[in-house]
Amino acid sequence: MRRDWLPILILWVSAFAVIAFLLALIIYIAIKGIPILSLKFLFTFPRGIEARGGIFPTIMATFYTTILAGIFVTPVAVGGAVFLTEYAEEGWLIRIIRFGADILASVPSIVFGLFGLALFVYAFGLGYSMLAGGLTLSLMILPIVMRATEEAIMAIPQSYREASYGLGATKWQTIKNVVLPTASPRIVTGIILGIGRAFGETAALIFTAGMAINFPYFPSDPGRTMTCHLYLLATEGISTDIAFGTAFLLLIFILAFNLLARRFGEFSGGRR
Amino acid sequence: MKKEKFLYGLFLFAAFIAVISILLIFLFVGIRGFPIISKVGLLNFIFGMDWTPTEGRFGAFPLIVGSLLVTLGALVIGGPLGVSVAIFLAEIAPDSMRRIVRPAVELLAGIPSVVYGFFGIVVIVPIIRKLVGGSGFGFLTGSVVLAVMILPTITTLSEDAIRAVPKKYTVGSLGLGATKWQTIRHVVLPVAAQGIISAIILGIGRAIGETMAVLMVLGNAPIIPTSLSDPMTTMTSVIALDMSYASGDHQVALFALGLILFLFSTSLVAIVRIYQMRGKVK
Amino acid sequence: MKKALLFLVLFFGTLAVLGLLQRGKFKGSIEISGSTTLLPVTQAAAEEYMRENPEIRVSVQGGGSSAGIEAAAMGASDIGMSSRELKGEELKLDLTKYPVAVDAIAVIVNPKNPTDNLTKDEIRKIFSGEITNWKEVGGPDMEIIVVNRDEASGTREAFSKLLMKESEFTKKAVVQPGNGQVRAIVEGTPGAIGYLSLGYVTKSVKTVMLDGVKPSIETLRSGDYPLQRTLYYLTKGKPKKLAQDFIDFVLSERIQKEIIGKEFIPVEEIKR
Repeated sequence: MRRDWLPILILWVSAFAVIAFLLALIIYIAIKGIPILSLKFLFTFPRGIEARGGIFPTIMATFYTTILAGIFVTPVAVGGAVFLTEYAEEGWLIRIIRFGADILASVPSIVFGLFGLALFVYAFGLGYSMLAGGLTLSLMILPIVMRATEEAIMAIPQSYREASYGLGATKWQTIKNVVLPTASPRIVTGIILGIGRAFGETAALIFTAGMAINFPYFPSDPGRTMTCHLYLLATEGISTDIAFGTAFLLLIFILAFNLLARRFGEFSGGRR
Repeated sequence: MKKEKFLYGLFLFAAFIAVISILLIFLFVGIRGFPIISKVGLLNFIFGMDWTPTEGRFGAFPLIVGSLLVTLGALVIGGPLGVSVAIFLAEIAPDSMRRIVRPAVELLAGIPSVVYGFFGIVVIVPIIRKLVGGSGFGFLTGSVVLAVMILPTITTLSEDAIRAVPKKYTVGSLGLGATKWQTIRHVVLPVAAQGIISAIILGIGRAIGETMAVLMVLGNAPIIPTSLSDPMTTMTSVIALDMSYASGDHQVALFALGLILFLFSTSLVAIVRIYQMRGKVK
Repeated sequence: MKKALLFLVLFFGTLAVLGLLQRGKFKGSIEISGSTTLLPVTQAAAEEYMRENPEIRVSVQGGGSSAGIEAAAMGASDIGMSSRELKGEELKLDLTKYPVAVDAIAVIVNPKNPTDNLTKDEIRKIFSGEITNWKEVGGPDMEIIVVNRDEASGTREAFSKLLMKESEFTKKAVVQPGNGQVRAIVEGTPGAIGYLSLGYVTKSVKTVMLDGVKPSIETLRSGDYPLQRTLYYLTKGKPKKLAQDFIDFVLSERIQKEIIGKEFIPVEEIKR
């Protein structure tokens, strides 16, 4: 027991170091960011030379792109997950799809930005737009949501399905009326997690949604998300206080997403 | 019956979108980037030391090495730390601590990279400046920030691997009179090693792909750093910085860098796969 | 599910309707992009313009002089902002130049640095990496840390053309994508040296005399300070009516004095 104390201490210190860093980051940004937060900050436009005022259009652009991403990813991810769990047989087909999903999950965000630029902005002719940004983001979060949906579906006991078949239902009817509804809380959790991930994205959006500070009304409009705005403020070295406000707002949203996903997860009785 | 076939095809298509996307990414990025390779020569591009795109010189070696170096720096700091926290969570932590540390790690994972970069600029850069001199933007700063960013990946996956070690091993070891740490070191870790290594490899992938945070704190100098305080750059930073104004050959070169990044990350996934399969045969 | 669908329809629907209303209000729009040096004043001028002409929408983006020139030439922007002269292939493009301000580029060092004066030759050698320690130019024994702008920067281009001439920038320089960030680094790093648009110089950094001439509005007017450059708006051929209107607006006496004059020299003041 006595010889053990050093390694065990190191382990404890590591854990504390991580907590300390997190607290330092959050508290520092909070202290500098909270004073900026006001209704004016949230709901007015940036004005003038130093981008004073508010960040309203960036908040809207962030929501616009992430909601679009959520819309696009859901059918594809759920459809794909249904295929992998219900329709496909173990074999090379499944392996290829999983491999593809894993690779997709590992692609650097800047490469997604280049891809989104080449495909959506140029080739599809969408220009810098919420649509191009949303589509790019949806590809980025596809692996996350698909994996979460898979796990949600696989967690459903086979007995549910057998009961449904016993009543004479077809495969699709079973999926539609038994499997998916039962799995939906966890699927929604997965979607929320995916959207949370899309929320923090920057590199992919600079080249697809653009950097124009206008208010996005239509999917064809360009826009600057909060993350891109923070990047601009930080690297141009202007309005550091607004930058802190933006950073803090981002942290709050991420925290909210985290809690929301957790609440949903608990509600449906899952571990993660 | 027809309907079932149709649905099968529909869902198959949905599942295949992931695969199609990968191929499209490879094609679009690769096709746009390839011309520079044929123009400059593959060896010149990868091993050339002079990156001055406005003069038409595209030696990407400092960029490639930069990505690798800052990843290495992040691993040196974040690897041991991440695994330690994983061990802590899986084996040592009382429930109260677990309820704090695990959400903390998840939270760290969710923080956007710009926020890390911003925090790096306002807090870490001045500290590093005092510690090792220079401007504060450089190798050490990048490594520190990146280490924190890959820590959640390493910790979460390592924790899974450690938890997967069958309880009977630990119980058996303790039953023979070994201490907690001895059990961890000689029983749990070796068994979990494969999973931990996979976690680290995935951490590497995350580090190489990181863009915003490193762009904001590395100083963006296209050189190979010779000290902790030297500014440097990565492939990702260069693409992000130059893309907004690059045209012609320059833009093609950036897509070529994107292709290299894509190949890097794909290889890592393949390596992890092969590594895990080898382990399974065992 | 149904609730989610309803929410989405409301969200995008409301935005689209608002957008159409806004579009209805707007009789025209002007797209401007390019130099970050000109960005703040152009944004301020645009806001003033929109206040006087509420049915016109002006959107201003950054991206750097090179991007602005290309955008103007491609027709992607109505007006391109540039803080440098056209070069190479750009001269062949059908672009009309409108000088809107005159700017000086000041060489700055950290306030703690006792160096007051540098010759052109010394500056060139410092920025090219030949001189690496302050003691070589009569200062303290401290390593020189060069801070440079990114390659899209018109400021960098102008500095290179006016001072560096044939010499190349050292690769070991820290590169930042904005005037503000350059200032921030020089402000915080004792051994740093950089260059800035005169309009960005604040008390937090110290300007260095160039061959005995201090950069200021006066020396700019008299022509004594050599690092001068003209800032331009560029349009493809003859600008369309709205763009012409805006350019005239920016060149008007009031705007020149109130907005341009805050950061730069009004164009009229320099007899070229």
